[in-house]
Amino acid sequence: MSDLREQIQQIISTEPVSVFIKGTPQLVMCGNSDRALRALRSAGAPVTAVDVLPDPRIRQELAALSGWPTIPQVFIKGELIGGADIVEELHASGELERRLEQAFGSEREGTVKTAAL
Amino acid sequence: MVGVTTTGPLEALLRTAFPDASELAVEDRTGGGDHFQVIVSCDRFTGLSLVEQHRLVYDALAEPLADGSIHELRIRTRPRSEGGTTP
Repeated sequence: MSDLREQIQQIISTEPVSVFIKGTPQLVMCGNSDRALRALRSAGAPVTAVDVLPDPRIRQELAALSGWPTIPQVFIKGELIGGADIVEELHASGELERRLEQAFGSEREGTVKTAAL
Repeated sequence: MVGVTTTGPLEALLRTAFPDASELAVEDRTGGGDHFQVIVSCDRFTGLSLVEQHRLVYDALAEPLADGSIHELRIRTRPRSEGGTTP
């Protein structure tokens, strides 16, 4: 396993909610990444965002790990939740908040930070 | 240049993968031939998580996803056609 893949796995396993996006929360470079981030924020998720754009290998290694071909990708406690469509759908139905509450309780703080690879 | 990919080839791939789909639609969202919205309602999705349902759609469209003819893909899946509940 490559070092990069290990680093990605480390983030997925240790961060409460990780989201791999194109760009940063301050400057999102893709509509779908933006949709996923908005849904997570609005549901009060403790988000750790990772920009996949600096190195094309990040996308390759992430796809190899998750078996998911597109960006964004959202993980809660290491589990792949899906891309923008699924996260939006789960948010609209209240399921996203329910899952976050189950994972982190109702006192959780909605935060957005970044992790770099 | 006229894009080679229209909705037809994608629809054909999905028809092959989901022959029993009760609803199957492909929309070219921008008219540019590479941003698509697909909708599939199929009994095969029953009992599967959304991640598993979307994976089946990705599998069906693996080739156009890999060769770059799909630049963006939006997916909406349902275990079966639920009349009137879609927004």
